[in-house]
Amino acid sequence: MAVVRLAHVFKRYPGALAPSVEDVSFSVADGEFMVLLGPSGCGKSTTLRMVAGLESITSGELCIDGRVVNDVPAMDRDIAMVFQSYALYPHMTVADNLAFGLKRRKIPASQIAERVRTVAKILALGELLQRKPSALSGGQRQRVALGRAIVREPKVFLFDEPLSNLDAALRVNTRNELVRLHHRLGATMLYVTHDQVEAMTMGQRIIVMNRGRVAQIGKPLDVYRQPSDAFVARFLGSPPMNLLKAQLATRGDQCFAHCGSAKLTLSRWSAADLAASSGTALVGVRPEELGVVEAAQAEGNVLRGKVSAIEPLGAETLIIVDLEGEAGEVTARVHRDVQLSLDQAVALGFASRALYLFDGQTEKAIPSSTA
Amino acid sequence: MAIIVLYTVYSALPFAWVGTLSLRSTSEISAAHFAWPEVWHWEKFRVAWVDSHFASYFWNSTLVVSAAVAIVTLLGAAAAHGLARYDFPGNRLIYFILFSSIVFPPQILLISLFQVLVGYNLYNSLIGLTLVYVSLQLPLTVYLLEGFFARIPQDLFDAAKIDRYSELAIFFRIVLPVGMPAIATTVILNFIQLWNEFLFAVVLISDDESSTLPVGIRHFMGDYFQDIGMLATGMMIAVLPVVIVYAFFSERLIQGMTAGAVK
Repeated sequence: MAVVRLAHVFKRYPGALAPSVEDVSFSVADGEFMVLLGPSGCGKSTTLRMVAGLESITSGELCIDGRVVNDVPAMDRDIAMVFQSYALYPHMTVADNLAFGLKRRKIPASQIAERVRTVAKILALGELLQRKPSALSGGQRQRVALGRAIVREPKVFLFDEPLSNLDAALRVNTRNELVRLHHRLGATMLYVTHDQVEAMTMGQRIIVMNRGRVAQIGKPLDVYRQPSDAFVARFLGSPPMNLLKAQLATRGDQCFAHCGSAKLTLSRWSAADLAASSGTALVGVRPEELGVVEAAQAEGNVLRGKVSAIEPLGAETLIIVDLEGEAGEVTARVHRDVQLSLDQAVALGFASRALYLFDGQTEKAIPSSTA
Repeated sequence: MAIIVLYTVYSALPFAWVGTLSLRSTSEISAAHFAWPEVWHWEKFRVAWVDSHFASYFWNSTLVVSAAVAIVTLLGAAAAHGLARYDFPGNRLIYFILFSSIVFPPQILLISLFQVLVGYNLYNSLIGLTLVYVSLQLPLTVYLLEGFFARIPQDLFDAAKIDRYSELAIFFRIVLPVGMPAIATTVILNFIQLWNEFLFAVVLISDDESSTLPVGIRHFMGDYFQDIGMLATGMMIAVLPVVIVYAFFSERLIQGMTAGAVK
């Protein structure tokens, strides 16, 4: 087990105009399950591969277990990696795949056999040991890939989107298995995914990356509730947070946002909070915070518009509403029993505390002085 | 199904015919070209093997072709791995030069190769012929293997690196076994091609003692008399190893031809 620390790490490929990874700094505590989350091309896999030693570091410092390992080859970093494609050696049996890394480390054969047996027991691979990877299902291959990492007993486990190739049901099972495994091993794990559900459910902390930079680091619920910018707000949550362009206004110490014809009260912000902003803003509200209210009785923060699409999901229904005054479109997650029809006028109400505010130019969250 | 049977008969009949010719004397063949052997002249194989030096031709062919195929396979696989896996300056240029050499007919090299071999004292030597065969078959081998090796997922190499395997160990422990279907394909293609090769063998070897099988068979063809019966016997001796090699590698050959992503 070990601490992984990156300090101002850059990665620029030869001939590339911009760095793929730019000034990335974070630390994974001993025994922590950290998730690197972001869209395709955001630099998360490159960051992981730099930690693994499979990519060189252009500048910055990478430490594993207190030792600077920038120039240490992958084989000497004492890490194990689980790949998206599983990377099982196709010409070897499951047992040979598990033992392959140990043989090179000159571990006695009896000890290798014992470790392979133990891991096979943990991951229920006992009956598959003599099979070749081509004779295994996706889930079984995934377990072998995991076993190959565990059997090494490394300081750090690295996962590069290991669940992406599994079907939805198996993904949920394996997700839970991985979390249990982390509890059991107590190992330091760095896990890359583009799936925010995986990140939210598995990570003790998550690092959201965007365009090669760290956008935010924190506990999953903290990041969800207090996104640092509009990107993080959009990226975490399904459906994503509704973001509407708005003009900010103050009257005395009261603050308002005008979205089309709607006037929203910003009870969490004071005039002083908005003083530094550019006057325009992105107002955010999550789909689950919106509720259908009677149009006549609606007071407070209400968005009015016409239903443009209805998506019944069974447990709940998503409705997409075109707002009045060309303010944009919002998605609301409502109870499955709510009866609506297309083009029906509807009013969506929400609590003031459910509002998020981002600067119109920088898209950074505008902090509020009140809780 | 009927088409497959028809095609099999169409392909096998000439082979079977040569088979019957190999057991008949030339005078019998002249009398009736397509007749079944009245007397089975098995002794013709002994005559060819012992009296007509086929043992020596066979040994020479085996030596030259085995060595050439082994060298071509190892060098070709190493080169293909290098070209498929490593991004170094000139990678595609080397690949293009190799590839373009496939396009030219090998006959245009004959005179220059002859001069080179004479210059290096390798004319009339099995080593010289082996080296020529290596150079002839290397481009196609690299071309075929590079295409296959490039499809081996990079993750396998990364996993092996993390597992503490050196570049050389990765080549022998991962690339060669994983690429075996493609390697078997090139082995069989090269073996058949070289085993039957006549032009370079007849030009670059003049000693009867160093001749290979295709050249040896020619000895049954005189200016005024062609010993068709012995010619057929010689051909049957020559074709046997090809059949054995094909039978041994055919499954892998098919795998190599139909290989998709390495999973």
